[in-house]
Amino acid sequence: MALPLPPGLTPAEVGFLCEMELVTVIPRQRLEGLELLGGPTQPMIPPFATPLPLWLALLLKKQRRANISPPGWLNVEALTHILDFETDERTADVFSPSPRLPQPTSTAPLEEDPYLAHDALELSPPFLKDAATAQAQDDALPYHWLELSHLLLTHAADDFDDPDAVHRLLRDLREVRMSKLRKGFRVLDAGAGVKMNGMGGMEVAEVRGFVGGVVDGLRINRSREEARKEEEAEQRENGLGSSNYRDDEDDDML
Amino acid sequence: MATRLRGRPAHAPGPTYLAYTPNGKKLITVGTNGAVRIFQHGSDDEPAIIDVTTDNHTAVVATNTFFLVGAEDGSVTKYSLLTNSMEEILVRCSLPVRDLSLSRDGEWVAVASDELEVKVVDTGDMTRIMHLREQSRPVKHVSFDVSGSMLAVSCSDGVVYMYSLSSEQPQLLKRIDGLVKTLETDAEASSKVAWHPDGRAFVAPTSTRDIQCLARKDWQRQKAFSGGHRADISAVKWSPNGALLATAGVDNSLCIWETRSQRLVKTFEDINHTILALNWHPTDNLCSYTNHNGELFIREDFVPSPSSSLLKIALHPAPMNNEPLSKISGNARKQADDRQKPDGVHRSVEDQYLDDLLGPDAMSEDDAGFIEDDDGAGYAEVPNGFGKRAAGAVNGLPVKRHQPYPSWRPQVQEAFQPGSTPWRGNRRYLCLNLTGFVWTVNQETHHTVTVEFYDRQEHRDFHFTDPYKYDKACLNEKGTLFSCPPSAQSQQSATLYYRPHETWTTRMEWKTQLPAGELVISMSLSDSCIVVMTTAGYVRVYTLFGVPLLVHRQKSTPAVTCASFRDYVMTVGTGPVSGDGTTRLLYSIENVRRDEICQNEDVLALPEGVELRSVFFSDKGDPCIYDTSGVLLTLLHWRTPGQAKWVPLLDTKMLERLASGKKDETYWPVAVADNKFHCIILKGGEEYPYFPRPLLSDFDFNIPVSSMPANKDDDEDKELAHQKGLEEQFVRASLQHSLQRDLVENTNASSAQKAEVSMMERGVDKVLLQMLAAECREGEERGMKALEIAALMRDRTGKMLEAAGKIASRFQRDILGDKIHQLAERRLVGLVDEEEM
Repeated sequence: MALPLPPGLTPAEVGFLCEMELVTVIPRQRLEGLELLGGPTQPMIPPFATPLPLWLALLLKKQRRANISPPGWLNVEALTHILDFETDERTADVFSPSPRLPQPTSTAPLEEDPYLAHDALELSPPFLKDAATAQAQDDALPYHWLELSHLLLTHAADDFDDPDAVHRLLRDLREVRMSKLRKGFRVLDAGAGVKMNGMGGMEVAEVRGFVGGVVDGLRINRSREEARKEEEAEQRENGLGSSNYRDDEDDDML
Repeated sequence: MATRLRGRPAHAPGPTYLAYTPNGKKLITVGTNGAVRIFQHGSDDEPAIIDVTTDNHTAVVATNTFFLVGAEDGSVTKYSLLTNSMEEILVRCSLPVRDLSLSRDGEWVAVASDELEVKVVDTGDMTRIMHLREQSRPVKHVSFDVSGSMLAVSCSDGVVYMYSLSSEQPQLLKRIDGLVKTLETDAEASSKVAWHPDGRAFVAPTSTRDIQCLARKDWQRQKAFSGGHRADISAVKWSPNGALLATAGVDNSLCIWETRSQRLVKTFEDINHTILALNWHPTDNLCSYTNHNGELFIREDFVPSPSSSLLKIALHPAPMNNEPLSKISGNARKQADDRQKPDGVHRSVEDQYLDDLLGPDAMSEDDAGFIEDDDGAGYAEVPNGFGKRAAGAVNGLPVKRHQPYPSWRPQVQEAFQPGSTPWRGNRRYLCLNLTGFVWTVNQETHHTVTVEFYDRQEHRDFHFTDPYKYDKACLNEKGTLFSCPPSAQSQQSATLYYRPHETWTTRMEWKTQLPAGELVISMSLSDSCIVVMTTAGYVRVYTLFGVPLLVHRQKSTPAVTCASFRDYVMTVGTGPVSGDGTTRLLYSIENVRRDEICQNEDVLALPEGVELRSVFFSDKGDPCIYDTSGVLLTLLHWRTPGQAKWVPLLDTKMLERLASGKKDETYWPVAVADNKFHCIILKGGEEYPYFPRPLLSDFDFNIPVSSMPANKDDDEDKELAHQKGLEEQFVRASLQHSLQRDLVENTNASSAQKAEVSMMERGVDKVLLQMLAAECREGEERGMKALEIAALMRDRTGKMLEAAGKIASRFQRDILGDKIHQLAERRLVGLVDEEEM
């Protein structure tokens, strides 16, 4: 086999993708703007907060040239709030919603459905702006919440007010959401679906193997069932004459 | 009445306890026998006796209408004072009751018994009970604070538990270990916490036989009353106004202490039995106590005469460390002298003093933000003008003490050093700005000063031990300036100390001493000079290396504060009294290098009831002020004498983040830079930033032009909000344009700055174009307004008007287009001049 990896992204790859997110950095020394492939960065002038890509922020943090200001949803209060939402009985079967989508950027002639306009640039979760900066909406988990918080807590724990409590809450959140997801798949039936709105990138990567297995299993079951039905129908059409031949073929297939 | 001391045999020999009613008319004693005695104040008659079914009473508390008695059989019984009869058994414990405490409003009683839990019972409805269960051993004493929202529980394991009762579910706030001694619940010695009547602090007897004061806010140890007792302390009680403290020891001692100096006022020798309970009369100079022998003593003229006047002060502040003791501290009030003359006659003055002390800028540990009147019980009083609770008149202060003449004095804004905070605990910031921050720690004998920078590459943080106790500091990119008050020990007068960050020779620090008796009120440091305002009314200007440039007397004194930017110095002083009884603030701006006055004694525009919070220059060099109502203003046209006016840049009360009404936060100004307001967000009623250093936040300017429509989802409102936003943008852009034009016209501006002026002008016109487009979209009938907007265009080349005409024609507003065209033509030939417009 050419690629020994399972389909989809590995957690490391998801983490790598997450490093493109902008985070708010409080510089501790001056740095001119850098011309990066993803666009120029703002110059860093202490003590003004500057948005920088996460990978650069972590690099500067390791060199003690900057502090990272955690996003609004990554504090004890906001996480407790989100966890309450997740564990509330009334909202037991949905995930906490992802951040609000920005206004569509187009002034399209198709006013009733701006998403169909050709020149519209509609941003959706992995590419939302300000998902991880200090301006982030503080009552919703963005797409990269799990990997981002993990990276920040590992490398910039001293920039948090209470890293232990944040860590604990994140673990709780992750477990609650995972169990919800598994519960969703337990009742999954042929033709039914599980609503995964608000799911994060890492969570998708985590359940991909499991879900892939389940769905493949369903598909196999389904194809067998279909095959049997077809066969029965043919039998009915053809009468009993060719049944022996068909049976042989079936045996071969199985 | 006789002053002879005689014991009144109240009960059978044994532990006896007493309580005064809050109005001071009745005194109730309980003892070992099955009777309760009620003495009338000022009467030598036989007391009323209520025969009760319980005996071996251990505690009594009283309100004006009823009293509660706790007994060793575990019952707490309620008796009426109106009928002198038993009403009901309020609560029954399985083990002996040890102590009772009543909240000030008489609504709740805390019951300490040998059970592990403390019960807090509603005296009106005995079914409402709160249980406090955090302690591990039986509780010896309980004590409600003044507001009734906090309960101090002295446990027999030597820990004081602090509970907050302001919520439905009591919460343990703090375990204070190592304060009180470990005592058995039936010991004679006491570990009871006594709250100071001002509510900011409490005292408790320690194992070292001292009485230690602790602050309520941070539970830090404050001053102590020490060296008075040679045995364990059995009773501690504040005088009703908190100016004196009476303590009794198990070695038959009784002492009176003065709160201000923590010194003994008097020690009584004629005590024969251990005093178990001690109570000041709420109004008179009288103290009663009961002892271990069933006797009651009523001591008249309890406080000897020189100190007895202390009893007449309305309310004395608790003995805290780092109080604003004198006017040398930048955060002290001018009225601090009042402390020295507690004559008690001018009650209004004293109350005023207290209001001042608890005012927003003193380091009041006020609990106004702490008590929430969520059940409407009224224990959170209505704030007064300072946003604080009124100086709580001590219960039953005599109404008859009329003040002979109403005394009035103007409310003076106290001096402050911009960017500094008052002491809290043992720390304070001396200076906090965009360069870095200077903070100091009080180590009793000396201070330690730390200077930290945001830019750690450019500057190196430093730290030093400071024997001079510097109380003001300024910090900028070039150096740090400190000043200290004169010290009595070293005979040194007030000193300035400047430390440059870097030099190309050896480091050239310098110090200079001010003339004797002169203190620094406020000072500032700029890139080229040092300005110091002193108590002698002088403004002293030095160069960065200590050459005195200029000394002049300030025209408006007392001085309040100052700020500087390059060679421009802004001084703020107190002016005449205005209609609302406060003094106006006057400012002057001058260029010290050119010796030119830009603005002379102009009024600092503040509305009624609003005080100045901070003064600073923006990074572009425009003066800015921030006031207590949360508005940031800048000074326009200030380089031309007589032309200056204050323009609001941002009203923090109208910020969008506060729109939900859920957030309770204020903003502590730091700087204006980069067209943003940099501040520290303070939550939960805090007044000043504290440690660890909070993050800086920034807000864009938003000139309060109009209120934003509340409902943003509505399409119509969205359109309206868009228009309002454009209007605000227009006002802001024109303001910034005129600030920049002032700068360019009055200084040797660089070509980049000049280019910026025309760019800003175009910016203003662009906003006008957008407004025009919005008007055109609205309809034909808005044409008049659209034409007016077109006439506001600043561009003289006609290009902008041309664009305006195009917009009009795109929306097919032909009449409007013609009129704009005419306007453009008349402009071009110079027919329309400024006045006509």
